[in-house]
Amino acid sequence: MTTWEQEDELEEDLSALRVHDASPERVARIRARCVAALAARRKAEEAPEGREAPWRAWLEPALALGLGTLYLAEAVTRALAAYR
Amino acid sequence: MDREIELRLVVRLKAGDPAAFEAIYEAYRPRLFGFLVRLSRRRDLAEDLLEETWVRLMTRSATLTDDARLGPWLFTVARNLYYSWRRSRAVDTSRTSELDPAWPAPERGDSPFEAAARRELERRVEAALARLPLRDRELLLLVGVEGLTPSEAAGACGVPAVTLRARLHRARVKLAAEMDADRPVPRAKAG
Repeated sequence: MTTWEQEDELEEDLSALRVHDASPERVARIRARCVAALAARRKAEEAPEGREAPWRAWLEPALALGLGTLYLAEAVTRALAAYR
Repeated sequence: MDREIELRLVVRLKAGDPAAFEAIYEAYRPRLFGFLVRLSRRRDLAEDLLEETWVRLMTRSATLTDDARLGPWLFTVARNLYYSWRRSRAVDTSRTSELDPAWPAPERGDSPFEAAARRELERRVEAALARLPLRDRELLLLVGVEGLTPSEAAGACGVPAVTLRARLHRARVKLAAEMDADRPVPRAKAG
């Protein structure tokens, strides 16, 4: 079993290990891929088709509700006419 | 990395700021690569996994929480990618752990004697780490080398913090034993 001093010494040895890095070519390649991915994401978010127009948020449900009500009213009217 | 700076970088990265990516990339890339190359013992594989880790961050950056901790997040992804790779290849760990470390000499402003002593110590630490079982090695790398807290390392490894602390202690004991076994034998005086 190691003592606290030994553990501290080990921690010091581990934290002093050399820092490594990938090859410059790989570093550049990863950077290019990531920057391109960020740009693509921003473009998609800013594109008109990617953003929902504000008026669509209330117009579409209202239109669907109106047409649905008309359809239901017509169906009820015809059903009543058939039974008369 | 300072926590306040990290929090600001996370928010900017979520907004798609390339400068934030650059700052994070410069801060964490060497640490992640060092972790992966010591974990896998293969430079080419470490580079592939490093690339995949960063691509994952880019594809998931918009879903990060505002208080995300980048270090533990990145090391968790890198570690999981390595384990996925091992599972897909059914790697024989006894073979990979036999590989000798072959790092270039450290470049510091030491005297030749100090530099030689430091190189020898570093060689012994690297060699001892390489001989440890993967589960012990990853803990020492995450906590000892990369400076994650035991709680953060527990999150990365998917184990309770109490378990991790016990495993970490055992890993340190094994590392000390491996380093002692590799200690240079003093030469006997002539005459």
